[in-house]
Amino acid sequence: MKHMIKSMIAILCVTMIGCGSGAKSPGVTDAEVVIGTTSDLSGPAKELGALITGGEQMYINHINSQGGVHGRKIKLLVEDAQYNPQKTVVAVKKLIEKEQVFSLFAILGTSPTEAIRSLLVENEIPLIAPESQSGTMSDLSRPGSKYIFSTEVGYNRQGEIMVNWIMNQNPDATIGVIYQDDDYGENALEGLKNAEEKHGISIQKESFQRGTTDFTGQVGNVMKGGCDYVLIAAIVKEPIIIMKTAAAMGYKPQFMGFGPTMDHRVGLAAGKAGEGFISANGAYMWNSDHPSAVEYRELCNQYEVPEKMRGMYHFYGVTAAKVLVEGLTRAGENLSRTGLIKGMESIKDWDETNLPPITWGPNDRQGSDQAMLIQIKNGKQIPIAGWMK
Amino acid sequence: MNSLFTEISQEIVSGIALGSIYALIALGFILIYKATEVVNFAQGELMMVGAYVNFFLIQSFTSSMGAPTFLTFILGLLGSIIFAVLFGWFLDLIINRPMKDEPVFSIIMATISIGIVLRAIVGLIAGPMSLVPKSPFGGAHIQLSGIIISILDLFIIGAAIALVAVFYYFFNKTRWGLAMQATSEDPIAAELMGVPVNKVYSLVWIFAAIVAAVSGVLLAPRAAILDTNMGFLGLKAFPAAVLGGFGSIPGAIVGGVILGIIETVSMGTLSFHFQWVKEINDIIVWIVLIAVLMIRPTGILGTEEIKKV
Repeated sequence: MKHMIKSMIAILCVTMIGCGSGAKSPGVTDAEVVIGTTSDLSGPAKELGALITGGEQMYINHINSQGGVHGRKIKLLVEDAQYNPQKTVVAVKKLIEKEQVFSLFAILGTSPTEAIRSLLVENEIPLIAPESQSGTMSDLSRPGSKYIFSTEVGYNRQGEIMVNWIMNQNPDATIGVIYQDDDYGENALEGLKNAEEKHGISIQKESFQRGTTDFTGQVGNVMKGGCDYVLIAAIVKEPIIIMKTAAAMGYKPQFMGFGPTMDHRVGLAAGKAGEGFISANGAYMWNSDHPSAVEYRELCNQYEVPEKMRGMYHFYGVTAAKVLVEGLTRAGENLSRTGLIKGMESIKDWDETNLPPITWGPNDRQGSDQAMLIQIKNGKQIPIAGWMK
Repeated sequence: MNSLFTEISQEIVSGIALGSIYALIALGFILIYKATEVVNFAQGELMMVGAYVNFFLIQSFTSSMGAPTFLTFILGLLGSIIFAVLFGWFLDLIINRPMKDEPVFSIIMATISIGIVLRAIVGLIAGPMSLVPKSPFGGAHIQLSGIIISILDLFIIGAAIALVAVFYYFFNKTRWGLAMQATSEDPIAAELMGVPVNKVYSLVWIFAAIVAAVSGVLLAPRAAILDTNMGFLGLKAFPAAVLGGFGSIPGAIVGGVILGIIETVSMGTLSFHFQWVKEINDIIVWIVLIAVLMIRPTGILGTEEIKKV
């Protein structure tokens, strides 16, 4: 027994010395670097979770097959956190403490990412390319933001960009918004508040709870308010029901949606009512002629990705993985977490993904702050306005 | 004034249709509760299964018979009901039968697990992408002095009234209905008096599955997208059942419609004129529920049951 305790103490000492010396960062060997992510494979966002993670995995396999980064293969550990903040906290703790991952990557969802801020600070671990378009990610006044490298334009900026576009088209426009009452909606409203001040206008605001299936009240209200432009901060179901309800009421404003409403099913399910719907979009489309999209389709063919997996979400996954690889490359051969952060900060006007050129810096955590507009015309999604800041 | 009247009427009509969906789900809760005193928390998932079965049936019909028509809708509905009969019978066989002598609480826990299992299984079979169901009526609607009512909503309201009437008649006027009431009161005494208790149990699960399938078929096109989380609506229908009076069949429609109207009017006209209503939209249903239960602890149409111990 005494023997055992002695040997245990010895082991403990050795591991502690190992940790303390900082000779090797956790999750890094000469042959491998371990990266942790949480996705949603069985919860409310499982359809996008499975596709995004699939895209990430495809690109990482592609890089590994070419020898990895600085001779290290990337090993991606995926935890299913079901888009749930509490489960994400548990999963991320497991990834950091038990699996000893080097870096976190592409945590799925705004609220789940918000929930792990204190873990980022405690462990001084970077989070590359969270799968969230919330502008709060890159808000350096929030704890942990300096560890987060946000890629796509935030909801707040999208809101401002859409209002700018509207005021440019029609300076006398009356604008309303129907928003989801959560972190996402709040960030969208933040941008709209800035836009209200900038243009000296007032935007009518109607909220709804997630899970709402009837929008008669909200649509009736923006109609009463005389709104001729209605912004929708929601996911996929809501814009469909909202536009159908308005069409039945004979109310025809210009509907516009934030990033998540760009899903092609909106046009598909809304049919005639969805014709003319405009959505903000922070990335080149997967079926466009942009070099990154062409490369994406070639990769899909090379790795025989099933037709029904290809598309916007799968492409997002590839982009996130590309950002990770770029960061690891720039971090150099002696991989450390601070090195990765420095590497990420050195990315300037980098134009190799489906996003507009990405820039990060010591005081800049927002990769891209541009959006373009996509409109449904004859059932097809057509870009109508180029990149706007 | 006239326009305010039209606006509120519009919201009330939509509220009635939404409430009819709640009523159909609540009816499923009440049917099983009335005969077995079990609250089936998988009722929402039964609805989701019904909607998926219907979706795939219609898909296979249209691939063999061409574009969806009213006929394919009816065939799909009938097919879903037939599936529901088998499915309800099967659920009784695997949950209710083996646990017949266990405390009611254990059976309730089992229904919660069944709900989770069903979500997982449907997710596996149907794949990760959510589906886009087509309404058999397209966007067709009628207009009554400025108020718009979609044909789908009329159908939903009609189905809710019809099913509530059928089951009300069944429970109060037929031998089987009385047998069910007797079983709920005291299964052992009922069995001794010659009531085939096992058959009663199967039947009531089958009924609940049928009601769920009908509500699923009608809700899916109204909700625009079909996914496995549709079952969570069951949690919204539960307060409807409590409000109407758990155990009262007409109570389902009363509770459902009241909650539906509160939801649409508070989000609509009330929020428009009173800013503070917006802040309490998500709890307003619960405030009403607590208020009603304080005055009538058994719900609006519930009757107090006195049991000899």
